Amino acid sequence: MATVTFEQATRIYPRTERPAVDGLDLRIDDGEFLVLVGPSGCGKSTSLRMLAGLEEVDTGAIRIGDRDVTDSPPKDRDIAMVFQSYALYPHMTVEQNMGFALRLAGIGKAEIARRVAEAAAILDLSDYLQRRPRALSGGQRQRVAMGRAIVRSPQVFLMDEPLSNLDAKLRVQTRTQIAQLQRRLGTTTVYVTHDQVEAMTMGDRVAVLKDGLLQQCDTPGALYDRPANAFVAGFIGSPAMNLVTGPAVDGGVRLGSAVLPVPRDRLARASAGTGSVTVGFRPECLEAAAPGEGFPVVVDVVEQLGSDAFLYTRLPVGDTGEQLHSSDVVVRVEPRSAPPVGATVWLRGAAGGLHVFDPASQARVD
Amino acid sequence: MTIASQSPTQALVAAPAPATPPAQRPPARRRRRLSQNRWGYAYVAPFFLVFGAFSLYPFLYTAWVSLHRTSLSNIDGGTWVGLENYRNLLQSEFFWNAARNTLTIGILATVPQLCMAVGLAHLLNYKLRGRTFFRTVMLMPYATSIAAATLVFAQLFGRDYGLINTALEAVGLERIDWESGTWSSQFAIAVIVTWRWTGYNALIYLAAMQSIPGELYEAAEIDGASRWKQFLHVTVPSLRPTILFTIVVSTIGAVQLFGEPLLFAGNGTTSGGSSGQYQTLGLLMYQQGWSNFHIGQAATTAWAMFMIILLVVGLNAVIGRLRARADR
Repeated sequence: MATVTFEQATRIYPRTERPAVDGLDLRIDDGEFLVLVGPSGCGKSTSLRMLAGLEEVDTGAIRIGDRDVTDSPPKDRDIAMVFQSYALYPHMTVEQNMGFALRLAGIGKAEIARRVAEAAAILDLSDYLQRRPRALSGGQRQRVAMGRAIVRSPQVFLMDEPLSNLDAKLRVQTRTQIAQLQRRLGTTTVYVTHDQVEAMTMGDRVAVLKDGLLQQCDTPGALYDRPANAFVAGFIGSPAMNLVTGPAVDGGVRLGSAVLPVPRDRLARASAGTGSVTVGFRPECLEAAAPGEGFPVVVDVVEQLGSDAFLYTRLPVGDTGEQLHSSDVVVRVEPRSAPPVGATVWLRGAAGGLHVFDPASQARVD
Repeated sequence: MTIASQSPTQALVAAPAPATPPAQRPPARRRRRLSQNRWGYAYVAPFFLVFGAFSLYPFLYTAWVSLHRTSLSNIDGGTWVGLENYRNLLQSEFFWNAARNTLTIGILATVPQLCMAVGLAHLLNYKLRGRTFFRTVMLMPYATSIAAATLVFAQLFGRDYGLINTALEAVGLERIDWESGTWSSQFAIAVIVTWRWTGYNALIYLAAMQSIPGELYEAAEIDGASRWKQFLHVTVPSLRPTILFTIVVSTIGAVQLFGEPLLFAGNGTTSGGSSGQYQTLGLLMYQQGWSNFHIGQAATTAWAMFMIILLVVGLNAVIGRLRARADR
């Protein structure tokens, strides 16, 4: 068991200008489940591979526990990795696959068999030990890949999108199983995914990356409630937060003909540079209001999920104003009383649901 | 394909089905399927026509000739002798000598050739500067004519002025009369074969290596496998089907070995050295047919070579099948 520390770790691929990972500072506690999340090309996989030793660290350092592993080969780092493709050895049986690292380490046959059997029992693979990967289902292969990591009892587990090759239902199942398993083993885990739902449901803490830069690292709840900038606000949460930019006027931000109230001091600080301000509301933080109150939107699509209904709406034509992500405003409503498509609905922000960002720096203003 | 398969289907649909009595159905269906696939057959026909004319017919004709006592000048006018040629062949010391030589030269050439090819492919698989250049160079021996290469190597292995003997002398070793000794001549011929085919096999291995996913190597690296262990536990098992294929191809080539031993002495005699020390089956066949004019006997040898190849390839297939079954 150990902590993992990135200290200003940077990776610049040969013949590229921009670093793939730029001065990453991150400390992962002993036994913590940390998820690296971000859109493709954000540097999350590169960060993981730097920790694994599969990618060079150009500047900065990486520590596992107290050891500086920046220049150690992968085998000396006491880590185990689960790959997206699982990377199982096709000519070896499940048992041989799981025991390969132990065999290379010169551990005795009986001991290997015992540890493999133990891991197989945890992962419900005991009946498949003599099979080859080819004869297993996708979910079983995934578990073998997990088992290969478990038997080594390493200091750190590294997982690179291990669920992305499973179908949707199995993914949700396996997601909880992996999270449970990690809590049970208590092994420090770094998990890479592009799926923010996975990140939120699995991680003790989630680190959001974009363009090689760490945007924010916090617990799922804190990320959701207090996103550090407009990118994190839009990335975390499904459906995404509504972000709208408009000119700052007395008492709020103008959206077309209506004015959305924003507290005076936050408005002043957010609009100091540009004269405009970005505001964000989560879909569940908008509520229906009486006509004339708040701002009007036209319903385009109604998404019925049973427990919730989401209205995909737009600001009326000629009334749009300047917007950040899309002209859509998504609203959660009671599923039984959803308005019909084409209806005009007046909305206002629920108290405490307002996020304010500076349009120039994109940073959160409190 | 689309056009070919669509129009008959439409015809099928249009045909009045209920009028056909049930008893006549199977033959009608067969005829229909034949006409349905007629374009398919038409497209593959040219290959089979050429194959029939230039492979199957000569092949069967050789079998027919091998049952006759007949001479080169009058192939069709031979007398039927049944299996006598085969009996003679099996009792002939020349045949067993040639078979033994073919086997030893084959082993001397094939084994180092394939081992070196795997090694070279492994090196070429690294990100080297000028990789394309090296890959092209590898294929050049294969593009060289056998005659030219053999004559050059015959010079190198020459007794009096050969470069190799000069080099041996320079480091204080004795000269070797490469051509006259059994092992030395067979070794020299194996060197020519190896030189010519190593690059070719290396490229085949290289192609197979490039289809091995990189993550397997990364997983092995994290598991603590050194470069050598990665080669042993990832590369070689992944190459197994390819290795089997190259063994089959090289074996066929080895059984048919002809040009190199024919030209090794520099004068194109079919005897394979003064005491037949490097006469291969191919050479023996040529000697029987074109030096001794016993074309029936030569045809018999040709069939014997074919049988040997069949045996070796069959054995390989069985081994491959058994391994595949063990894998499951």
